[in-house]
Amino acid sequence: MGIARVEEVEELKDGLMRVSIGPQHPISGQGRILVVTDGETVYDIEIDIGYSHRGIEKILENRIYIHGIVPLERMVMLDTSPITMCYVRALEELYGVEAPPRAQYIRTIILEMNRIISHTYALGLFAESAAWNPAIFLWTTADREPFLDLLEMLTGARWSYSFIVPGGVRADLPQGFKEAAFEAIKFFRERLDVYVDSWIDNYLFEVRTRNVGVIPRDKAIEWGAAGPSLRASGVEYDTRKHDPYAAYEELDFKIITDTSGDSYARGGVRVKEMYVSLDIIEQALENIPDGPIKRSLPQRAPPGEAYARVETARGEIGMYVVSDGKDKPYRVKISPASFRNIFLIEMLPKIEELRFADVPVIFYSLDPWFLDADR
Amino acid sequence: MSMKELEKKLRDRFGEGVIDFAIPRKNRLIIKVDASIVKEIAMFIKENGFDMPISAGATDYPKDKRFEVFWVIWSSIHNLVLILKTDIDRDNAEIDSLVEVWRGVQKFERETWELMGINYKGHPKLKPLLLPEDWDEGYPLRKDFSLSPYKV
Repeated sequence: MGIARVEEVEELKDGLMRVSIGPQHPISGQGRILVVTDGETVYDIEIDIGYSHRGIEKILENRIYIHGIVPLERMVMLDTSPITMCYVRALEELYGVEAPPRAQYIRTIILEMNRIISHTYALGLFAESAAWNPAIFLWTTADREPFLDLLEMLTGARWSYSFIVPGGVRADLPQGFKEAAFEAIKFFRERLDVYVDSWIDNYLFEVRTRNVGVIPRDKAIEWGAAGPSLRASGVEYDTRKHDPYAAYEELDFKIITDTSGDSYARGGVRVKEMYVSLDIIEQALENIPDGPIKRSLPQRAPPGEAYARVETARGEIGMYVVSDGKDKPYRVKISPASFRNIFLIEMLPKIEELRFADVPVIFYSLDPWFLDADR
Repeated sequence: MSMKELEKKLRDRFGEGVIDFAIPRKNRLIIKVDASIVKEIAMFIKENGFDMPISAGATDYPKDKRFEVFWVIWSSIHNLVLILKTDIDRDNAEIDSLVEVWRGVQKFERETWELMGINYKGHPKLKPLLLPEDWDEGYPLRKDFSLSPYKV
């Protein structure tokens, strides 16, 4: 929120103009993209975030540990469980405990369902940005419903679950959950095939998104991209594999990567990841062990520090938690994936030629979330 | 290269400049260094495979009159997370920016400059990011920032 003052805006060369996209809902959330263009070619892009900065890091310092979970979920309402998982992971490291195996499996199921819900939304917006018929957005919004119903059945809420807590999860799987979940998976797998046939593999869609916003592998690493945006550039990096949590170590899945690094690749990685998520949920449901789901922990965490990482749908989130032995954290530093990905678009006009119409396509293909970046 | 070798190389090269070298758990590495040579050390560890910046920030310790500034770097070769730390004086909060070493820390340093009031020397773009443009009430993430006017 710092570039609004007129006197600070530098003069532009003849024939160039600065176009402001936003700040009212250019994508989900408030934020602004300033584009310097001559009408067609893009010369410079500046990202202006902070319109929904809530100071979550400061809020956490003033709440007991378990109360921190609720404000944290407000970072990305579509994808709440991985964020709380990250906080809980850091706390469990501080306490030096691990949740019981059954809780780990239940966590895995929620995390992967959340990933599907988030990816469907991202893909719907991506299709819309590529001037595709809004029908795709309606499809993806309707098709995530079975998973929302399942999560409601399990946690009592459709979006903000507050279900993963330090030491385990809040409740066990309800009766009939398994059967309903298998049914939803079967339904969704068929729908994914329809997406691929009718839209992802469609020539028109490829023309619009291939070779648009190419991020080479070395740049993706240098700039610190995260999640599908990083994997689409050929970096095999997924904290589910590289720093496993929940039950991922015991499940069999592979990291989806692509080498071309363009917008199409980023969308494609998301679609393939949803297939992987369905497999993971199936495996977790089949192999879930019996046993307790929660262990109780004292309110005060032992002094120390922990850096926890979790793979959200948008990429890796990192939380650095420092405890001084009290019942509130001394410091929490959150590094969300959107904060890393959103600035990638600033770098792109410097390395390749962009057209104005490509800006939304690239932006939605990166799938940043303003509220996530603002915190 | 094992982490033992890295520690030996670091200590041989920088001697007293490396204050602490710890492996708290699998996939983690904490190196605490002297603030005056943080940039040289950053260059050195980047050459040794730590290539992707994933976080940066600072912690305020008003009792000890210091800030602990940290950068978090992932290595695509060793697959581990390095937390590079250094202490700086709280009354003279200045530190070399590591943007030249890892391009991706730019936004994190900018954010820490704004919220914690740490001046990163050599940073190309220190301007407000998250706070309102007419903000003049100090640095919200410092411990002496009072929340009472904002409580409902």
